[in-house]
Amino acid sequence: MSALTKWSRKRSIWVFHVNAASCNGCDIEILAALTPRYDAERLGVQLVGSPRHADVLLVTGTVNGMTKDVLKRVYEQMPEPKLVVAVGACALGGGVMKGCYNVGHGIDKVIPVNLFIPGCPPRPEAILYGILKLVGEEPKGKVVVSDKVEKQSDVVTREEVEPPVGQ
Amino acid sequence: MDVLQVVEILVFPGLTFFVWLAFVFDWLDRKTAARMQGRVGPLVAGPHGILQPVADFFKLTTKEEIVPEYSDKLVFEWGPPLFFAAPAVGTIFIPVISLSAIISNPYDLLFILFVLAFSTLMAAMLGYASAGRYSTIAIGRLVVQYTGFEVPLIISIVTPAILAKSLSIEGIVGAQSGYWFVFIAPISFGVFIIAALAELEKAPFDIPSAKTEIVAGWMTEFSGEALAYIKLTKNLSYVFLSALGASLFLGGSNGPILTHIPILQDLLFSSYFLVKLFAVGFLIFAIRTALARIRIEQATRVFWTILTPLSLLQLSIVIALR
Repeated sequence: MSALTKWSRKRSIWVFHVNAASCNGCDIEILAALTPRYDAERLGVQLVGSPRHADVLLVTGTVNGMTKDVLKRVYEQMPEPKLVVAVGACALGGGVMKGCYNVGHGIDKVIPVNLFIPGCPPRPEAILYGILKLVGEEPKGKVVVSDKVEKQSDVVTREEVEPPVGQ
Repeated sequence: MDVLQVVEILVFPGLTFFVWLAFVFDWLDRKTAARMQGRVGPLVAGPHGILQPVADFFKLTTKEEIVPEYSDKLVFEWGPPLFFAAPAVGTIFIPVISLSAIISNPYDLLFILFVLAFSTLMAAMLGYASAGRYSTIAIGRLVVQYTGFEVPLIISIVTPAILAKSLSIEGIVGAQSGYWFVFIAPISFGVFIIAALAELEKAPFDIPSAKTEIVAGWMTEFSGEALAYIKLTKNLSYVFLSALGASLFLGGSNGPILTHIPILQDLLFSSYFLVKLFAVGFLIFAIRTALARIRIEQATRVFWTILTPLSLLQLSIVIALR
């Protein structure tokens, strides 16, 4: 891969956002990452309307029977190279719905996931940090995480996720 | 056609120069919009993010190109270069470094009108060829909008031609030595800017590419290299229409100070042109950021009942004054 390709992929990240049965909490935080205070556009991040234009699939919510097929189709519609980011505790492993009979237990049971961003919901800084990590960019500056948020983030990590009950 | 002319067409002030301007326009557009919304805008790619459109372009060219199963393969694959050709050919007729364009003939304004119509036609063909639901809806809207903005656009372009008694852009630019035509035909300039917004699918006339309604308009099914060229073409059209507005109404490369030193004169001409080009560009950036989208029937009503009579009024005033 040439240096130009590497550079352009690092600097231009077009994101398609899928809400797979989320409570809208994470979606609001993703929206906040695009607003003047955080402004993801300065890093080259753009929210696009069509999966055909996207490089990164941003998935929130605990994927259930209704959204499972939609999520798969959206993933298959994206052109290569594509990356998937799971945002929020529900997307990681079920979150507060963990163990329920009617929800899935994590996006990675449906489509391959490249990066998990924990939190319920994760802060906009965390989402930006995650996206930068994803493209191999070492984020500069200090990442401010308060104690409360750190605790929240610890609610579900990958190690803690157990196999879903009844499957 | 000698070697120098080929270099002029391909490098400066022809294709390469205008493609560079297209990237700069995209960056300025995003930066202006961001500043007006209280954001920073592109920042990381290059100094002040000026390489952001370049990064977007090269990233798209390296991506996989998906061809939908039911699409018209021929148009889907060969349409984007043709779409790119329309504004690329049109820019050759704009005078930049002197009062004469690279290629010029007495009737090139008619060719410009053909280029503008061909651009919309190619967009419609690309949208239909991709055979997507959203593309089809978008093309329906695009064609309805086209029937609205084409008539006022043509009338407002013809007005400076009547004032200059010439159908070539060169002649129109040359006729604005004393005064700019925007002072004699201000309504035409306004109508031209509004029609240009509709041609470029910018707010408040971004109805055919409404992001919140029909995904990405007629571009929905395109990916990879085709999308890269479509985006570049849209930015090139942006530059082309701004350059046309600057040349027809603001005097283009014609300016107050003229010398006889060859290189200095070229620099002066091109700086006059660039200042006017960016002035028209900023006008369009500001309008498209400040206004919200209107509905398709509102747009048609605006064009047919307000802008067409206004441009006809301006045309009759100009003919009476002549």
